[in-house]
Amino acid sequence: MRPLDVDGSARRVRRDRFWTVFWLVGAVVLLLLPLSAQQGISTVLRSTVLAPFLWVQASLQQGQLRATELDDVRAQLDEALVRLVSLNTLQLENQELRALMDLRDRLSIPFVAASAIRPGTRGSESLLMLDVGIQDGVSVGDPVISAEGLLGVVREVGPTNSLALDWTHPDFAVSVMTEGLGVGGIVEAFRGSFREEDRLLLKGVAYYEPVEVGELLVTSGLGAFYPRGIPVGWVEEEATSDAGWQRRFWVRPRAAVERVTHVVVLIRGGEAVGVDLAPVWTLPPPEDPEAEGSDEEPMDSAEGRQP
Amino acid sequence: MKGSLLFTPVLVLFVFAHLLLRVGFGVGDAAPDLLTVALLLSARELRGGQAAGLGFFFGLLEDAFSILSFGANALTLVVLALLGSKTRDLLVSETPTFLLAYLTVGVWLRGVIHWVLAAGDVRASPSMVLVVEAPVVAIYSAGTAILVLMMLGLVRRGAQE
Repeated sequence: MRPLDVDGSARRVRRDRFWTVFWLVGAVVLLLLPLSAQQGISTVLRSTVLAPFLWVQASLQQGQLRATELDDVRAQLDEALVRLVSLNTLQLENQELRALMDLRDRLSIPFVAASAIRPGTRGSESLLMLDVGIQDGVSVGDPVISAEGLLGVVREVGPTNSLALDWTHPDFAVSVMTEGLGVGGIVEAFRGSFREEDRLLLKGVAYYEPVEVGELLVTSGLGAFYPRGIPVGWVEEEATSDAGWQRRFWVRPRAAVERVTHVVVLIRGGEAVGVDLAPVWTLPPPEDPEAEGSDEEPMDSAEGRQP
Repeated sequence: MKGSLLFTPVLVLFVFAHLLLRVGFGVGDAAPDLLTVALLLSARELRGGQAAGLGFFFGLLEDAFSILSFGANALTLVVLALLGSKTRDLLVSETPTFLLAYLTVGVWLRGVIHWVLAAGDVRASPSMVLVVEAPVVAIYSAGTAILVLMMLGLVRRGAQE
């Protein structure tokens, strides 16, 4: 015979066990859900509970932008003083915006300008939150570029915002070719021990193909997403290769992801795959690391490391 | 601590401050992990099932920005909430030293569990996360939380063991 549960404690314990198992199973199910369902849930959360916090971040950026404009006015009034100030963050942002405006004038395919913000939560490293979405014509797979070159690709799209991977994300890969001889390969992200060591790796180059250090790599237009001719980076040095008929090269990326605040999204990028965007960019030659000063740490700090 | 009228508002404040600093201000890891702190503190006052539910919700908020490891934060915080709830039966102290140790170990454990559950491509090297990153975040977060709790009078130096 079952003992009497006079104060209801046994029932409370049973109920508590049920809810414990329920939430545990729920969390495991979340982890195993297909990507589309996961994206649906995160989109709903971002547009409801987290929307005020994203709004704060967007507003702060707007404020920063206005501060930049104010600084421009001040700069006109007191040009001499401004010249004393070395490159600061606001000037960099200003330069970035001006470069983007130049780029927008030259682009021959549809695009939309966007502000990029970093979500800043655990697991969101290498992701950019853009303030453009389906309503602006953005779709999954659209390339994200800056005045310097390719930054990443749109991965998730909501009605008014979207989430893009930058080139440091493990999922990032793009088909490229050298600007001169058209030697092709695939560029992938290679994560360093520290985020500052993140860089790109050019794979799949045949041994007989001539690839020179300092050569510019641009998107080849092969595949479904990226139009041809977007600068990706410069060949820096040959990486240690596995046995086989292919060589690999470290690539110094052109677009600096750490300070990006404004970007351009090439909408319907896939439809523009046949377009050559090379004339859009007028690029200065790569900086000579030796000329920058002997006390500076060389870029190849991960030298000899097997990717 | 729970007896204080301030307890629940402070926990809500921790969650709000976490999201405001990390998402709103975009400070990222430079801000203390107050979400985990809030969960650990409330887990000691809740039943296992309730704590797990809270952990699930908090985890979902963090997962909203992750693609490759979606769900890892939710499962991590559910497990952490259950462990936190269990500690109430084993350890009853409310001294600042105990709370500091409890929160430090809890936040460190959160880093470890998340590292285990995160997709291989996303996670950094184990030595970096487990020995350097997670302990620093844990000490920083626990220290900040204890400081706030002491300032609000929710934890006192001469508290009963």
